[in-house]
Amino acid sequence: MQSTPPSPASPPAPSAPRELSRLAALLRYEILDTPEEDQFDDFTVLAARLCGTPIALISLVDERRQWFKSRVGLGVSETPREISFCTHTIAGSGIFEVADAQQDPRFADNPLVTGEPHIRFYAGAPLSTPDGYQLGTLCVIDRQPRQLDAEQRDTLARLSRQVMRLFETRLLAHRHAEQAALQQAMLDSATSAVLVTDVDGHIASLTPTAERLLGFSQQELLGQPLVGLFDPRALQRHAAVLSAELGRPLASDFAALTTPLPNCRREMSRWQLRHRNGTEVPVLLSVAPIRDEQDAPRGYLISAYDLAYQEQLRLRLQQIAAQVPGMLFQFQWRPNAPGRFLYVSEGVEAIYALTPAELSTSIAPIFARVPLADRPALLRSIRQATSSLSSWHAEHRIDHPRKGLIWIEARATPLPQADGSVLWHGLVTDITARKAEQLELDKQQEMNRRLLEALSEAVIACDAAGYLTLFNEKAKQWHRADVLPIHVQEWSAHYRLCLPDGVTPMPAERIPLWRALHGERISNEEMTLIAGDAPRHVLVNADPLYTSDGKPMGAVAVLHDITERKRIERLQREFISTVSHELRTPLTSITGALALLGSDVMGVVPGEMRELLDIAYQNSQRLGALIDDLLDMDKLAAGKMRFVPRVQALQPLLQQALSGNRGYAERHGVHLQLQPGEALRVRVDERRLHQVLSNLLANAAKFSPPGETVELRAERRDDRIRVSVRDRGPGIPAGFRERVFQKFAQADSSDSRQQGGTGLGLAISKELIEHMGGRIDFDSVEGEGACFWFELPCEPSATAEEGAR
Amino acid sequence: MRELKRILHVEDVPSIQVITRIALERLGGFEVLCCPSGQAALEQVEAFAPQLILLDVMLPQMDGVELLRQLAERIDLSDVPVVFLTGNLQFEEHDELSRLGMRAVLHKPFDPLQLADRLRTIWEERHHAV
Repeated sequence: MQSTPPSPASPPAPSAPRELSRLAALLRYEILDTPEEDQFDDFTVLAARLCGTPIALISLVDERRQWFKSRVGLGVSETPREISFCTHTIAGSGIFEVADAQQDPRFADNPLVTGEPHIRFYAGAPLSTPDGYQLGTLCVIDRQPRQLDAEQRDTLARLSRQVMRLFETRLLAHRHAEQAALQQAMLDSATSAVLVTDVDGHIASLTPTAERLLGFSQQELLGQPLVGLFDPRALQRHAAVLSAELGRPLASDFAALTTPLPNCRREMSRWQLRHRNGTEVPVLLSVAPIRDEQDAPRGYLISAYDLAYQEQLRLRLQQIAAQVPGMLFQFQWRPNAPGRFLYVSEGVEAIYALTPAELSTSIAPIFARVPLADRPALLRSIRQATSSLSSWHAEHRIDHPRKGLIWIEARATPLPQADGSVLWHGLVTDITARKAEQLELDKQQEMNRRLLEALSEAVIACDAAGYLTLFNEKAKQWHRADVLPIHVQEWSAHYRLCLPDGVTPMPAERIPLWRALHGERISNEEMTLIAGDAPRHVLVNADPLYTSDGKPMGAVAVLHDITERKRIERLQREFISTVSHELRTPLTSITGALALLGSDVMGVVPGEMRELLDIAYQNSQRLGALIDDLLDMDKLAAGKMRFVPRVQALQPLLQQALSGNRGYAERHGVHLQLQPGEALRVRVDERRLHQVLSNLLANAAKFSPPGETVELRAERRDDRIRVSVRDRGPGIPAGFRERVFQKFAQADSSDSRQQGGTGLGLAISKELIEHMGGRIDFDSVEGEGACFWFELPCEPSATAEEGAR
Repeated sequence: MRELKRILHVEDVPSIQVITRIALERLGGFEVLCCPSGQAALEQVEAFAPQLILLDVMLPQMDGVELLRQLAERIDLSDVPVVFLTGNLQFEEHDELSRLGMRAVLHKPFDPLQLADRLRTIWEERHHAV
């Protein structure tokens, strides 16, 4: 844009800003370092010939050198800028000429003058761009001093301008190629199919989209008439309509497509194009003429918008909308204009009892359905989302004409548009049912929570992965800690769980909750919690939890505090133990003294006195038995009775019981008899079995009339052994059957023979037999005696083993 | 085989001391030393050199089990059966007591007419075995 020519002043050094623009211009021509070309060599040859010099160059000067695009008579392709003659040429205007360099102080010691190529004469014409930058020179050089004549100078100047024009042409060709590539890319990527025809309607080019749309390849269509793709009858109809409108006849050929409508209206028109497979493709078509600079038509650009695709999209949206519970919408918010719905799906009816048509111009009908109380919050949320352009979420009620008050949830995402409007894409759903469920669930949960807190039991739960999730109030109290989401395996250590002894830490795999988590149902297991001064004894029930479809959901444990019960039980046991000991000591003295007196050791006792001594002695013994039974009962109840079961032969045990009770039986005038039987083996605690047999034998003897025999018998019944004691007494009254094995049960307290019993014997016997895995019962017909029996599992006969002893 | 003659009896309840003495001296014909406490027994045991020791379990200050431990340190009990006499039914034999020399547990109330025979049987079993 330099309007004035550069100053003729001689300094070769370039001025900075101007020089930078000049270098940029040089680069724009993209000519530096390109190969030699004939077009340019023609000019150097011409220049050298016309000026009569041996050397001619097209020289371009960049920041550090002059580079020769074409050269005649010179070997090197570039020389340093500081010593170049051309630098002087481009710094001035017009032709720069040096007649004899040896005589010129600026060049006399220039290496190009003093050495190769021994320049004496130089004349250069600048290569100037249209905007005034001098890129280099066309120059001629001689090794003799000389001068150009006027004609030669003019020729050199004209040639230099031609060289510059050649540069310009090359640059334009470059630009055109780029432009064409860009256009092709744009056409290729267009969603519409685009075809170009020549003025006669023959297809000249088409885009890949057009190939896809029509099913023809480019080769098949190039050079073909465009009308070949149209239904001739449709063309005829169109031509007829146009003819009528224009008032002149119009052929039903290509002209029917290209003739513009009156008033320069140019409309998209619907056409069916013929697909290669014979089907018809519905398109929206636009035809535009392509004109050259003289406004003469050079061809036509035809773009076809695929309506089938658009139709597909519309159908797809409708299908999606139908699948979505609720209403889909697209809402347009405009600055300074009322907002409006661009799209609402059919679901609008179910939610607002409105039709899409009723919402086409205004959203007021929707607000009319929102209860007054809900409007401020709704408007606030919309305003907030609009100003922050963040996604919108609102839950509010709708006064639905048919359904009454319903709850709806609305969500939308704003999408700002270039024109300042905002598009909201959103979804509105009816959440009435969910709200109701939620409300019901909340109530239920609150109820459950209150129940849990009101319980006197501790409740602890864990999830399916075994992490603790819940302590109720009591559980927190007892652990003196809140629930931590730790694994059940760590529960023992963290909350200090112990075995029932209150000191041994509970191994993880024995924790009831852990076992319940693994599917076990735990009922009344004892353990202790350590928190605070004393261990808390608890009974634990634990169950696995499952979802309604049977998947593990976790486990729950309910802990019942039995510390107080345990304390009372212990006190009771201590009391009984103490009392029985305190009773037993004097009883030992009384019984012992009476026994010694009655034995005549201390002298013979007179008859009547002996009777009294016997009464005293027997009652003291009964008192002892009562104390023993009380202690036994207590031990059994507390689970403290020790059993030492051992597999052994049954017959010797029966024999011992018989001899042990013979004395007692004989006092009642009753004979005890052991019936012979096979050798049998049982697994029993010898002392406890003896206790049971003694009890049954003593009872039988007691209730038998004098002179009768009580039979003891053992027999095998399948895999069990039955031991029975049969008496000939009065039998058991039917009404007493139920209570026979209860504590302190007696059929008739007036029965004098019961003076010898404690009322605990059968109850204790039942417990003992059941502890040894057996059962006890009796058969009796009143008046025909009774047969008490017990059954024990039969142990395999060990005759071989016994024989070996 | 020698005969059982000298029995050491440790019992704090006087009435039972009397009954035991009659049962053992009058009926059994034994020579009985009765001590009312463990301390008294420890003081006299060596001089008396009993052939059998009858111990009550519940004694003041030092109970029968502790007394047995201390007796075992003082004299050789391998030939001297120790018999406990107790009102506590929960009192059971166990390994430590057997190792120390306990041979039997008799429960109160006992039959004084059979006590001498029981002790003689126990003593003889021990001496047959040895």
